[in-house]
Amino acid sequence: MTLEISNLVGGYSQVPVLKDVSFDVKDGELVGLIGLNGAGKSTTINHIIGLLTPFKGTIKINGTSLTDDVKKYKEQIAYIPEQPIVYKELTLKEHLEMTMLAYNLDQDAAWKRAHQLLKLFRLDNKLDWFPDNFSKGMRQKVMIVCAFLTDAKLFIIDEPFLGLDPLAVNDLLNLISERKKQGASILMSTHVLDTAQRYCDRFVLLHDGQVRTEGTIEELRQAFPNAGESLNDIYLTLAREGDAS
Amino acid sequence: MRQLFKQRLVIHLKEMMKYLRLVFNDYFVLALLFMIGGLGYYYSNVLKTLHTGLWWAPIVAIAILLVSVQLGRFATLVEDPDYVFLFPQEAAFFAYLKRAFHYSLGLAIAVQVLFWVLLMPFVQVTMQTTATDLYLLLATLIILKVTWLNTDFARKYRLNNRLLSNHFLFRFLIPVVSISLSIYLNYWLGLALAIVALGISYYSRRNWSRYPIDWKVMIDDENSRMHTVYQFFNLFTDVPMLQGSIRRRRYLDGILGRIKLIPKNTYLYLYAHGIIRDNEMSGLYFRLMVIGTVFLVFVKGEILPIFLSLLFVYLIGFQLIPFYFHFSDNVFVHVYPITDQYQMKSFQRVLLYMLSIVSLIFAIAVIAVNFSSLMTVVGVIVAEALEIWAFVYLYIPRRLARSERTR
Repeated sequence: MTLEISNLVGGYSQVPVLKDVSFDVKDGELVGLIGLNGAGKSTTINHIIGLLTPFKGTIKINGTSLTDDVKKYKEQIAYIPEQPIVYKELTLKEHLEMTMLAYNLDQDAAWKRAHQLLKLFRLDNKLDWFPDNFSKGMRQKVMIVCAFLTDAKLFIIDEPFLGLDPLAVNDLLNLISERKKQGASILMSTHVLDTAQRYCDRFVLLHDGQVRTEGTIEELRQAFPNAGESLNDIYLTLAREGDAS
Repeated sequence: MRQLFKQRLVIHLKEMMKYLRLVFNDYFVLALLFMIGGLGYYYSNVLKTLHTGLWWAPIVAIAILLVSVQLGRFATLVEDPDYVFLFPQEAAFFAYLKRAFHYSLGLAIAVQVLFWVLLMPFVQVTMQTTATDLYLLLATLIILKVTWLNTDFARKYRLNNRLLSNHFLFRFLIPVVSISLSIYLNYWLGLALAIVALGISYYSRRNWSRYPIDWKVMIDDENSRMHTVYQFFNLFTDVPMLQGSIRRRRYLDGILGRIKLIPKNTYLYLYAHGIIRDNEMSGLYFRLMVIGTVFLVFVKGEILPIFLSLLFVYLIGFQLIPFYFHFSDNVFVHVYPITDQYQMKSFQRVLLYMLSIVSLIFAIAVIAVNFSSLMTVVGVIVAEALEIWAFVYLYIPRRLARSERTR
C-alpha cells in the first residue's frame, strides 16, 4: 500500500475544502483523480506533497506520515505540477543537478538516465538554456524529466497532458507504465478522460471536497448501470447529479 | 473618473506606506541618522573652505538644479488592463489625468523645495545674491518643473504637436538656459524665460481631451515609473512586483562549480546560483559596493573611514537578508526530501562569502587612502572581520527567526 489517505479534512484557511476524503493507491497502480474545477483535486495533491497541513486525518506513504519522518516521507515522492514551475536563475542542466542533489541520486547513473529522458523529449541540445524562457509544453517536459530522474515510489502528476505534444503524451504514458511495472504508484489528476480510461487502473471521483465514488471502470459501470459505458459518460452523469443535489 | 483616481490613489498610497514602513525599520533609521549627520558635518566643513568667485561653483549649482528639475515623473497610476476596460471612457479620462497631474505636481514641487533648501548655503557662500534672488530662483525651478510635467502630460495624447513633443527642448534646453541666465545674468530674466515656456506648454491643454489617448505610451510610462519606484524600495526590502531579469554570467561558473553536489548543499546551490544570476540581487550588491568604494576613496581620517566601511558592509548585508525567502514560493523546495536545518547554514555561508568580498575591497580602498595611519589600517581589518562574524552568526539567525514568524 503506497499511498493511504484516511479521513482527510483540509484546505487553505480555516474553511475546509476537503471534507473527509479517504482513498489509497496500491503498489504498481495508476489511479486517476477526476473532478470538476474546484472539486478539491489540487488541494488533495497539495496535502499529499506536504504543502498544506491536514486539519484532521492522516496521509501515509508506505506507512510513514509527514509528521513521523519528513525526509523519509518526501524521498518517496516525485511531483509534476500542473503549471510548470522552474527556477528563473537555473539552466536546464542545473535543474537536473538540483534534482539529483535534492534526492541524493548517484551522479553517474542519474546522468545516464537523464540523457535518455532528454533525448526522448528532444531536450538534449538545450542543456545550457534557461527553461524559464521555454514554452509551456517544453517546461512541462522539464518537469517530467526531473520527476522521472528520481527513484520515487509515488509519482504525483497534476494534469500532465495540457500543452504537451502528442508524441510527448505517448512517451509520458510509456514512462508511467514502465515505472508501474517496477512497482511505483502513480496518482494522476486529469480532465482528459478517454486517455485516463485507457491507462488508469482505478479512478477516484472527487466532488465538492468528497469522494463521490471510486473503483475500476468495471466497478463504476456496475455501480451506475444507467450512466453509460465510457468514463466520460459516467462522469458527466455523476457531475450533473451532484450539481442538482 | 475623479472617483476612480481617488480610489487608485488610496490604494497606491497604502502600498507606498507599506513599503515606507519597511524602509524605515529599526536599524536603518539609526544608520540613516548617522549618515545624514556625517554628510551634514562634511558639507558644513566644505562650506568653510569656499569663498565667492570660484569659477566652478555656478556650474555645480546649475548641474544640481538641473538634476532636481528632472526628478518626479507624471504619475498616472494607470494599469495594464485599463486600455481594454477604460477605452470607452476615453473622453472623460482627461479629468482623471488632471487629478493625477495635480498629485504628481505636489510631489515634484516638494522635491524642488528640498533641493533648493539644500543648495542655498552653497549659493550664498559662493555667489553674491540677495534673498529676493533666491526666492526668484525657487519660483523659476517650480515653473520649470510644472512645464516639464505638462509636456509629460501632453505625451499621453496623440496630439501631433511637434513643439510639445520636443522633450530635449522642454526638459533640458530651456531649464539649462533659464537657470544659467538666473545665475550668471539676472534672476528675473531666468524666471521670464520659464514663464514663457510654461505658457507655451499650457496653451493648447484645454483641447487635449478631444485627441485620442496614446494608451501604449501611457501604460509603458507608468510601468517604467513604478519599476523605478520598486527598484528603490528593493534597496531595503523584498518587492514581489519586481521580477528580476536573469543574466547567465558564464564567467562565474567556476565558482558555482566548486559546490559539492551532496544533499546538504541543496540550498547552497540554490542561493549561490540565485545571488549571482538574479540581476536585481547582484545589481544591488554591485551598486552599493561601487558607491561605498567611491565614498571611501574620498574620505581621509582615522576613525571615519573605518566607521563608513562598517556602515556600508552592514547596509549590503541587510539588503541580502530577504533573499533567504527567495525560493520559498517555489513548491519544489518543499517537495525535496531535505530538512531545513541546512537552509540557514547555506545562507550564512553565501552571506559570508559575499560580505567578505565587499569587506576586502573596502579595506583595500581604506588602506590605499590612509596607509600612513597604522591605527586605521589595522582597525579596518579587525573591525570588518568582527562585524561580519557578528552579522552572519549572531544577527542573521535571530533576525530570520523573527521574519519567519511574521511571514
